[in-house]
Amino acid sequence: MRWEIVAGVAALVLGGGVAQAQPVLHAVGIENEYADVMSQIGGPYVQVSAIMADPNTDPHEFEVSPKVAGELAGADVVVENGLGYDSWADKLLSGTRATVISAQQVRNLPDSTPNPHLWYDPATMPAVAKAVAGAFAAKDPAHAAYYQAQVGVFDASLKPWLDELAQVKAHYAGTPVAVSEPVADYMLQAAGMKILTPFTLEAAAMNGTDPAPQDVSFQQDLIVNRKIVVYVFNQQVRDTLSDSFRALAQQSNLRVLGVFETMPKGAKSYQNWMLNETKTLGEYLAAGGQ
Amino acid sequence: MTLLQPGFFSSLPVQNALLIGAGAALLSGAAGVFTVLRGQSFAGHALADVSAAGGAMAYLLGISPLLGFFSLSVLGALALEALGTRRAAGRDLAAGIVLGAGMGITALLLYLDVTVKGSAGAAVTVMFGSLFATPPGLGRAVALGALAGLLGLGFIYRPLLLASLDGELAKADGVNTRLLGAVYLLLLALAVTLSAMAVGAILSTALLIGPAAAALRLARSPVAAMGLAALLGLGCAWGGVWLAYQSYGWTPGHVWPVSFFITALVLVVYAAASLARRA
Repeated sequence: MRWEIVAGVAALVLGGGVAQAQPVLHAVGIENEYADVMSQIGGPYVQVSAIMADPNTDPHEFEVSPKVAGELAGADVVVENGLGYDSWADKLLSGTRATVISAQQVRNLPDSTPNPHLWYDPATMPAVAKAVAGAFAAKDPAHAAYYQAQVGVFDASLKPWLDELAQVKAHYAGTPVAVSEPVADYMLQAAGMKILTPFTLEAAAMNGTDPAPQDVSFQQDLIVNRKIVVYVFNQQVRDTLSDSFRALAQQSNLRVLGVFETMPKGAKSYQNWMLNETKTLGEYLAAGGQ
Repeated sequence: MTLLQPGFFSSLPVQNALLIGAGAALLSGAAGVFTVLRGQSFAGHALADVSAAGGAMAYLLGISPLLGFFSLSVLGALALEALGTRRAAGRDLAAGIVLGAGMGITALLLYLDVTVKGSAGAAVTVMFGSLFATPPGLGRAVALGALAGLLGLGFIYRPLLLASLDGELAKADGVNTRLLGAVYLLLLALAVTLSAMAVGAILSTALLIGPAAAALRLARSPVAAMGLAALLGLGCAWGGVWLAYQSYGWTPGHVWPVSFFITALVLVVYAAASLARRA
């Protein structure tokens, strides 16, 4: 079995090997960051597609098309986020042969978890990768060892990001920040940031409901009186409130960090995307702390 | 329970909401008297629904919502004028058809807002308003718009009243009723636009006809009715903002939609006026 791993890794390294090896499984990541991790685990043996991959739109507002239903019907393994973020997929997946992995379930999170953006949490993807390898192995036992080995490769490749998080935390733990909505909160918390924005305001922005004027005033005060160092906003969501907070932050000479909800087009991989956003945060903190 | 949650008057979103609410309520109240007298409530509602398409368009183009709402509202007014006939039945038909087309376009534009621009809350904001989350500068624009509208209304007030009460008499008096009607529709478009800023496109008719209908039941003259309607509308708008602010203490951390409170107060005012009239 050992040489099989070597061959698999070699095929990946050479790149051209992907064309030679015939994909055995078809897998779907509801969000493209999950699809990216799935393809890192599946290598040449799994053909992976993503459903929500357009960084210009907000996945919360996704509308189902017949093409998507067809893709899900043909999938062997599907990864979804859970926590109501992509609940539309459950309806389409019931009755299909797909093994469904939910990030919420592998993390053992209750339905009441307020922030659904689990992929920003460093603990999520290792758990997802493990579950994905298990599901791939069950459907394609011939390459089980390869899938298991890829989990180790993936976990190791998260190290630069985790190191960066630890470094930011070591230098800037407790730094106050404000956010437009909860998208990157797990990462900010992992980096030791203190999010001063009321969560009710974040939730109103995420859900498109009326914000409380008390919360709006609170956030304006944070920004105008420079009680925070960095303002973090979701680049994939445009709304009046987020735009006006961002303008206010720029006028107040605060650092403004734009983050993405789904994996952006230019990103090399999930871990690279996370690393870059964390690095930028670190740079802004270094500049803003002066 | 306190009568005033802390920070009401110093809150920027509240100040903005009070300003926009006032502008919308004053012009809509005054213009609404003619809407009721002329039996054009349905036309007013049709304009509001068409203006929703403009609101959705504003998100797509990244322009001021005021500009978006107003341009489509004017377009709707022109369409009504072009399609409209002198008879009330034909007018309702025209209004209904314009309304349907407007809402259809709104559905398309809102879909594009969400899929192309990622404007998650666009639909709620356009339809039901988000008075506490308005773009900067909107308050001043609404105030100016209201002032211009009220001046315009004062300018055509006399012939408009005559034409609204007795079209034949007005014509005999040398009034160009067709032109007057068109100018009035433009003012109506402005009133509807400002109200849509406050309570959203779907609900803007509430501010337009509710206070006006109540005032016409109570006041002795059309001028008095215009003044009273403006004041009643102002009371509803400001009362709604105050109640929404208070609701932060009822369900911790959340406010109930301000549009709900404003329209609820409009209903209360109208019901009270009806009872007072009967008593």
